[in-house]
Amino acid sequence: MKTIYKSIFSCSLALLMLGSCTKFDDSINTDPNSPTKASGTQLIANAELFLPGISSSPYGVHYPQYLSNTSFSDNSRYVTVNFNFYGLYTGPLMNLENVINNANLDASEGPVANQIAVAKILKAYYFWHMTDRWGDLPYTEALKGDVNYSPKYDKQQVIYNALFTLLDEANAAFVTGAIKNDIVYGGDVAKWKKLGNTIHALMALRLSKVDATKGATEFNKAVTNGMMTANTDNLTYPHLADQNNENYWYNSFTRLGRNWFAVSKPVVDYMQPLNDPRLPVYANKPTNTAITTYVGLDYGLPGSTTVTIANYSLLGSNLRLQNSPVPLVTYAQQLFAMAEAAKIGWIAGGDVTALANYNNAVTESIRQWTGSTTGAATYLAQANVAYDPATALMKIGTQRWVHLFLHGYEGWAEWRRTGFPTFLAPPPANNGALIPRREAYGTQERSINATNYNAAVASLPYGGADDLNARVWWDKP
Amino acid sequence: MNRKSILILFGFLLFATFTYAQKIIKGKVTDVADGTGIPGVSVLVKGTSSGTTTQPDGSYAIDVPASGTTLIFKYLGFDTQEITIGDKTVINAILSSSSQTLEGVVVTALGIKRSEKSVGYATQTVKGDNLTLTKEQNVIGSLAGKIDYGNVSQDINPEDIESVSVLKGPAASALYGIRGQYGVILITTKKGSKGTKKVNISVNSAFSIEKTANFLELQNIYGVGNNQTFLTLTGGQKYVNGNDESWGPKMDGTPVRMFYSFYPQDPEFGQLTPFVPHPDNIKDFYETGHNINNGITVTGGSENIDYRISYNNAYVNGVIPNTWLKRNNLGLSSSLKITDKLSVGANVNYANNNGQRPTQGYQGSFTGATQWFQRNIDIDRLRNYKYADGTILNWNVNPNTATGIVTNNKPSDWNNPFFDAYEVLNNDNRDRLFGDVNATYQVLPELKLSGFVRSDMFTQNITHKEPLGGRLVDSYQIGKYQNEENNYEFLGQYAKTLNDISLNFNVGANLYTVKYSQQYQATVGGLSSPGWYSAAASIDRPISTSFLRRKQVRSVYAMGSIGYKDTYFLDASIRNDVSSALPNNNNSYWYPSVSGSFVFSELVKWKALSFGKLRASYAIAGSDLSPYQTAFTYGPGSNYPATAGAINTLLVPDKLKNPNIKPSFANSFEVGMDLKFLKNRLGLELTYYNQENKDQIIDLSVSGASGFDQTVVNAGLIQNKGVELSLTGRPIQSKLFTWDATLNFARNKNKIVELYPGISVLQNDLNTYSSQTIYLNSTVGRTFGNLIGPGYKIDPGTGKVLLGADNMPLFDAAKDFGSVLPDFTGGFQNTFKIWKFDLGAMIDFQKGGQFMSWSKMLSAKSGQAAETAAINDKGFNVRDAIAAGGGVKVNGISQATGQEVTAYVDARTYYRTNLGTRIYDEWIYSASYVKLREVSLGYNFDGKVLAKTPFKTAKLSVIARNPVMIWQKAPKGVDPSELSSGSSSISWIEKGELQTVRSFGVNLNLTF
Repeated sequence: MKTIYKSIFSCSLALLMLGSCTKFDDSINTDPNSPTKASGTQLIANAELFLPGISSSPYGVHYPQYLSNTSFSDNSRYVTVNFNFYGLYTGPLMNLENVINNANLDASEGPVANQIAVAKILKAYYFWHMTDRWGDLPYTEALKGDVNYSPKYDKQQVIYNALFTLLDEANAAFVTGAIKNDIVYGGDVAKWKKLGNTIHALMALRLSKVDATKGATEFNKAVTNGMMTANTDNLTYPHLADQNNENYWYNSFTRLGRNWFAVSKPVVDYMQPLNDPRLPVYANKPTNTAITTYVGLDYGLPGSTTVTIANYSLLGSNLRLQNSPVPLVTYAQQLFAMAEAAKIGWIAGGDVTALANYNNAVTESIRQWTGSTTGAATYLAQANVAYDPATALMKIGTQRWVHLFLHGYEGWAEWRRTGFPTFLAPPPANNGALIPRREAYGTQERSINATNYNAAVASLPYGGADDLNARVWWDKP
Repeated sequence: MNRKSILILFGFLLFATFTYAQKIIKGKVTDVADGTGIPGVSVLVKGTSSGTTTQPDGSYAIDVPASGTTLIFKYLGFDTQEITIGDKTVINAILSSSSQTLEGVVVTALGIKRSEKSVGYATQTVKGDNLTLTKEQNVIGSLAGKIDYGNVSQDINPEDIESVSVLKGPAASALYGIRGQYGVILITTKKGSKGTKKVNISVNSAFSIEKTANFLELQNIYGVGNNQTFLTLTGGQKYVNGNDESWGPKMDGTPVRMFYSFYPQDPEFGQLTPFVPHPDNIKDFYETGHNINNGITVTGGSENIDYRISYNNAYVNGVIPNTWLKRNNLGLSSSLKITDKLSVGANVNYANNNGQRPTQGYQGSFTGATQWFQRNIDIDRLRNYKYADGTILNWNVNPNTATGIVTNNKPSDWNNPFFDAYEVLNNDNRDRLFGDVNATYQVLPELKLSGFVRSDMFTQNITHKEPLGGRLVDSYQIGKYQNEENNYEFLGQYAKTLNDISLNFNVGANLYTVKYSQQYQATVGGLSSPGWYSAAASIDRPISTSFLRRKQVRSVYAMGSIGYKDTYFLDASIRNDVSSALPNNNNSYWYPSVSGSFVFSELVKWKALSFGKLRASYAIAGSDLSPYQTAFTYGPGSNYPATAGAINTLLVPDKLKNPNIKPSFANSFEVGMDLKFLKNRLGLELTYYNQENKDQIIDLSVSGASGFDQTVVNAGLIQNKGVELSLTGRPIQSKLFTWDATLNFARNKNKIVELYPGISVLQNDLNTYSSQTIYLNSTVGRTFGNLIGPGYKIDPGTGKVLLGADNMPLFDAAKDFGSVLPDFTGGFQNTFKIWKFDLGAMIDFQKGGQFMSWSKMLSAKSGQAAETAAINDKGFNVRDAIAAGGGVKVNGISQATGQEVTAYVDARTYYRTNLGTRIYDEWIYSASYVKLREVSLGYNFDGKVLAKTPFKTAKLSVIARNPVMIWQKAPKGVDPSELSSGSSSISWIEKGELQTVRSFGVNLNLTF
């Protein structure tokens, strides 16, 4: 109170005469509710929190038809067209950008070079995921805050090239020394380095239809730089038995009590006849005990159909525990990529190398999902599974689809690129809707970044409208 | 104020007064009605040119030449009085208002009373007594879901209100600076009066009941389900599931297993019940609310002291079961005259609010029932929501089809509404203390200095209990919110009349401080012991936050006015604010106002014209922003408790702050005319204004690709032009019957002239549902607030709807549905005096302004709306099979062929997947309406009757609030007139939270 009166008295005269008593105690407009400092690894950790969302999506999971809806089938019938991408820029990407451009990172949290390299790998990973969903996106002018509130859209090719460069920079920058506050690898930068190169190779393979030369070059670069060597190198998001950090599917099934997701008929009908050891992980048997087999639910049923849930295989219980981990970038996927690269001549060895990598990929996939390789050899020995030079790409593509189960956006990208598996059909009686090949931009861009949005839509690489049917650059018709 | 500045001020004033040291007559002019002083009364010495006007407290001092024999007291709206001077040196005059009273005094900025003719801007004053017509107990609104926590008006006892002044436009409120940019509502509270030795006691009692009304029209043919075939349990019994849609089979009496039959604890376990409609199953959930209000006031005074003590108690029972509000108000105001020149006073008000309210939000209570529910549920069957073993009876769950028993008893979207009402509890308690301490020193008859310390502080606790058994994890939330606002004010008032010239000069300083803090805790992951509602019960790391906001504004201001011959008036003011929320190097800003009025009726000698005034004003109002927006900070992210040690993440916030923010200014120009005819029986007030807000401080939505989705900037030029018209009249005046009427009309035209470089759209608001987003956008070159969202895709050639291959309408994600701003609004207020009865009626109206009814959309999507089971032009229900003559008839252009198509389509796909999801054209309505907001009838007992009682006056009235919607353009069941009463400044979407409540009550006022 005393100080208030003091300030009244001392200011009054000056105010009356000059109208200028403009000094306030510095503390009064300093926000006591928010920190003014954040360490690089705290920001990286926050960016990592968004990782499971790349896989755990009630939209992405439907495009490659991993899950079908038992109730409220709108998502499986593509009712949603426009998808907002702002959250990925303002969320993880802006945190990472802040680390990459920070001149004052604290070396006590691990070598500064490593902090920046990890941020660059995560940045590349998020942008890769995004450009595969939407195609052309703001990149070169993005994440610049008040420097540019209306960033232009860059061509997907430009973004891919920029991400290759970013991954090269990260690969070259790593030094010895763990970093702190790392949710996914516990600070092990050797694993980060391998992850960067695996992402590099998988991205390179995306170019197989559109620019094989560039793809092969980048692929080989990644192989040379050193990729994953075991499932323990996988990028897997570790959820916890903690409501603040729980698995998305746990929330949906258990927390909200919604048995809305069954494994789809194409998945079960492909896996069951082959006695796939992964099926008991992917799916539960129907709760109706009269049924003894796995039963996949027809994909994309009209909403007027009432599904008797007890008669179908819901998503496997172990994939929807509170702490079920979410695999994102895996050793097996890398092995499938190696097999395909060998088959199409990007790396040496032809069918021999392809076969070795393929068998390895299936075995490692079984190990990843079931915890052991039991049954892998028997499984691989079946004619419909065994590598065959004549149908190699089909086998690789279909097995990769099985391996990428639940990671909808990735499985969908590989389906778009390769066309495998061939047995996915659009939902029936759905106004002629085709399986989407792209997600449309969020509608906010039409008004608050209109010029750039319109320019992007006017130059979609293969024409079409801003909808689910236009194609991204690497998805050459 | 330090000593030096006081001396300077005194020097000036002493100089001014010494020149007039002559024989002086002093006195005070008071109003016979309430004994309060009347300011601005002309006091003239008859036959001379000497004259003065009374001070704000009604006192005056006048120099009387030797020739002076009589004083004349003249004041608009009061009968003129002449008093002989004789040898008196003190002359007090008591004026009574003339029969054709129209309020002549207005309370202006800083509480200064001024004569109406001297102000150069529009004002409107409503006396407290007339407020009974409008003083809806705020608590009712609160219980209907319109909570505005912390609004002081909720804590004022309506009985304490003397008058409410509305100061319109920046010139009127220029002295309030920032806080007055959009006009000021000034509430003057009642005081006791000095000099009257007797004590007055009055009591007030009111009772009212509230009833829900105006429900959406729903169908009563089809029950729950996705299709018209009954589901069967493994054992063969037909059953209905826990879906929340009514696209199911006909409610034709077929025996089915209903939700309660799936609970082994239920007496009807395993039994079949006929599948029939329950048309009133939503309405019957609500109860009749009631409201009891009792108050007592004691006023009195003596030579040197006056006092007023009031106590009021209100108890409200809401229309939603188990909701209530209790309020206690205690008020004390007193002033003490220490010497003839020095008086001190204090006003202290204490208010306590204690409430139990419905859970807010979409799935919070039963307000979503018109959107998602089953037409076949008997609401009474849900009333006993808990079985003896503690199991909760739910309707929104499914049985195991093999056993016919509910095994997963967790509702997917909706709790049993009675479980919500009786177990999910929201309690709040607020203690608020507000008032002021003041001192006034009448240095000279012309000069008054006053100081005020005004404080307003409250502490509020809010808790939420989420028990086990519902759709959510059990949890406990507790928040403590504290606010302390202080104003330290100095005001110097100087008034002087020199012959024909009247002078007023005010100078003031104000220090405004606010400190707001909150602590909030919420459990996460459940409660470690069921029913233990404590933050300590959190199974996982609880949410625990603290928040502090501090701000200071230092202001000085000066205002001067000069009047000539009671005919010409000129005002000017200037204010300087220094705000702690602005950057230190640019935190001081000045803004002036000037206004003038010309009372031409003083010159025009036309008998019919009793009063005529022209007024004009120009003002600039400055404003700042809330604190902590000028420096970058990081934000808290969630905590990841890894085995190796917890990881506390931090993040870059989504809103970018701005170190270069500048104060912003609104420039406004206003002209107007006030006319009164035929001894004030007819009046007209007309105002035209043009306001330009340049470089306003706004939260601009920007492309998230920039890394931020909002930024605080100075941006834009927004223009508002409009007219306001007020017509008052007394068409009929007789001994037995008098009719007073007031018609208000306002029309505003708005334009966004500029925005921000590279951005031409200001995104004001948005709402996303089912992945469809509707925006409230303001676009450069257009008016404020256009709704942009998904709607019919139109064939440009024919203007008809484009249809897809399945003949369903195609949609366009960004269609423009027009502005939410109305073309005009108004009110029509009538008061009739019939013998001893007072009859009042208030009508509100509005034309235009778009709004969206989400209730209506979802009632169609869920198959509950009447139109989803309508009869088509072939005479069949739209839900009948298309082959059998059913289906909804659609007409449009086929996108594939370009040809016109008329076809019948499946009703469910049409309403659920298409119209109810992404064709907003059907759910956006014009808000035009004419509504009878209130009717009241009062009876004043006359003296003869009361003579045998202890009462001096007695008045009994009956009031109906919100009794009838006379006409509305939007469909029945949504009330556009309730939209704008929400807490956000622009309400454009209705989500079912505004269930219409009609209130009927009785009021009794007694004085002893």
